[in-house]
Amino acid sequence: MISKLKEAIICLKAGKVTLPYPFEAAPVPGRFRGRPVFHIERCIGCGGCANNCPAREILISDVCQEIRVMRYLGQRCTYCGRCADVCPEHAITMSGEFETATNDKKDLQQELEVFMGTCQRCGRCFAAPGPLEQLMMKGYRMDDLPAGRWIYKSKSFVFSEGLPDVEIELD
Amino acid sequence: MLRKLCQKAFKKSIWVYHANSGGCNGCDIEVLNVLTPYYDVERFGIKLVGSPRHADVMLCQGPALRSTAKALERAYQAMPAPKLVFAIGSCACGGGIWYDSYSVIGPIDKIIPVDFYVPGCPPRPEAIVYGVAVALGVVDKKVAPVKLKQLEFPIARYHPEDLQCEDGMVVYRKLDRI
Amino acid sequence: MQRTQRLRSGYAEKAETEDSMSLAILKGIANVILVLAAAPFFEGLIRKVTARIQSRQGPPLWQPYLDLLKLFGKEDIESGESPVMQRLGACLSLAAVLTLAWFVPMGAAAPLSEAGDAILVIYLLTLCGVSTLLAGLAAGSTYSLFGVSREMMCMLTLEPLLAVAMIVAAVEAGSLRLNSVLGASVYSLESLPVAGVLMLVVLLFSLQAFVGRVPFDTAEAETEIMEGALIEYSGPKLGLFKYAQMSKLFVYCALLVGVFFPWGSTWPYPIALVLLLLKVAVLVLLITVLGATHARYRIDQAIRYYAALMVLSLVALTLALVGF
Repeated sequence: MISKLKEAIICLKAGKVTLPYPFEAAPVPGRFRGRPVFHIERCIGCGGCANNCPAREILISDVCQEIRVMRYLGQRCTYCGRCADVCPEHAITMSGEFETATNDKKDLQQELEVFMGTCQRCGRCFAAPGPLEQLMMKGYRMDDLPAGRWIYKSKSFVFSEGLPDVEIELD
Repeated sequence: MLRKLCQKAFKKSIWVYHANSGGCNGCDIEVLNVLTPYYDVERFGIKLVGSPRHADVMLCQGPALRSTAKALERAYQAMPAPKLVFAIGSCACGGGIWYDSYSVIGPIDKIIPVDFYVPGCPPRPEAIVYGVAVALGVVDKKVAPVKLKQLEFPIARYHPEDLQCEDGMVVYRKLDRI
Repeated sequence: MQRTQRLRSGYAEKAETEDSMSLAILKGIANVILVLAAAPFFEGLIRKVTARIQSRQGPPLWQPYLDLLKLFGKEDIESGESPVMQRLGACLSLAAVLTLAWFVPMGAAAPLSEAGDAILVIYLLTLCGVSTLLAGLAAGSTYSLFGVSREMMCMLTLEPLLAVAMIVAAVEAGSLRLNSVLGASVYSLESLPVAGVLMLVVLLFSLQAFVGRVPFDTAEAETEIMEGALIEYSGPKLGLFKYAQMSKLFVYCALLVGVFFPWGSTWPYPIALVLLLLKVAVLVLLITVLGATHARYRIDQAIRYYAALMVLSLVALTLALVGF
């Protein structure tokens, strides 16, 4: 019984360790990976980030031969940093932003419209062997931007509708 | 008059029920971290309760699985109005990296209506406290959709219906109309 | 009703006039209002001191008032086996505790102390526990039946302790009337009675169990392990149950203070009231420190502990009967 009173007094000596968080900013450790931020002036539109994202979070849609639209939906991003590691131009940085709570998922999107250089004869067939060829997303892409769906096959617009959503009986 | 008093008291005393519908427990641990002395959230009057019938806010984490979808919906219906649902972690917000797996239906807003999203994998305890503060109206949210362009010029568009298949290759025919 | 009670028990000392009957009613209502207003404050004190012992900031002192207000404003979902019994259980628990407040001296003499005796107090205390049982049985889910069975086991071993305490005091005083039981405290006789001191020690050790706090809250508020008897209640009914639990804490402490530490209760009303609140606050702090430094006992460990206390209290009873 006395030992419990002593225990209580020892605990009281520690004082109050609560961090005054919402009232003061909380500093982030050095290499913390928060939300990825895309820098449009450095992006070359190779699509390496989209190819390597484990959650298929970056969607690519070619509006025409010269414009490629890349959209980052923030909803499934696990902040793993693979896109930043793989980007050849260091156009993606993992910022320290972690205060990303919102009541609408569309607030987390970032969209880039990138100008693609085209070959004068036939469009986009720049032959550039090297690491870029391994990273790149090959071919034309028509991801379903309005619905936020990743389209697996580039021929799917011609031959089929794309992968349907999994159907569950939720009785 | 009593109703207005009760509404004002609602913001200062929120009882939380934690529902994990198939997650990896990472966000679980962060939610429990929020109740520890460092990030003490009980100073705002928030208490963890064990039954959805006692709770005002359901903190969900983990994607909606085929096996737990019904249980999650029943837990949501068991909560008395007024109620809020928070989706914590990237699995609950958008399905996470398991979004196309065989047992995952998707994010939890395919099953129950969600009011606030806190993305992250797992979100820092400060991020969860920030999300709660945004819900209570104490602070403003800091994210907004971003749209950036490199060049802007009118250009002819390609339409998907103009895609053609010519011996195994998919070819765009460049047209003049936009 | 007052007058027939008096005629039946044949009190001949005082002829009660109309004035003192309405005074008794006024004192009773004042007691009830005091319980309703002060009980959530002590609960808030418990939560704040527990938080400080755990090195964190903790909720503000008036948090339980906000909790209760919020609960009364929520939608009431009626589910479970029998909604009528649920409503009855909720009202009964708060009503039993508030009726008990009419028999406990808070700052002045107990209002209805001439209308009831010690046995009535024991029954009212048991009724508080029985209403929790009713609550759990009316809900009918598996977890609440778990909570009900544990509460039954605890009640079977705890209520006799209280009864024996009252009877020891009654044996010392020689009658079952409430004012003599309350007046025959440990200090009013010439030599310190061993039985009374033993009873005080036993009651202090079991105070934690009576108010249902850690380490003995296996039955009531164990929302951490199993959801307990209150799992199916939402909104206003839950608010009534929580209010009843808070008031039970206050009334038990006031009863203990009235029986064992009655110094200063003969002073004028406001000073005696403040003194009572201070003494209850000291007891509440003791409960808090015990609660914050112990882990919850399993049900079999708890029952063994109560059984040991029961043996001690029976020893006290025999000592009192023998004449110590």
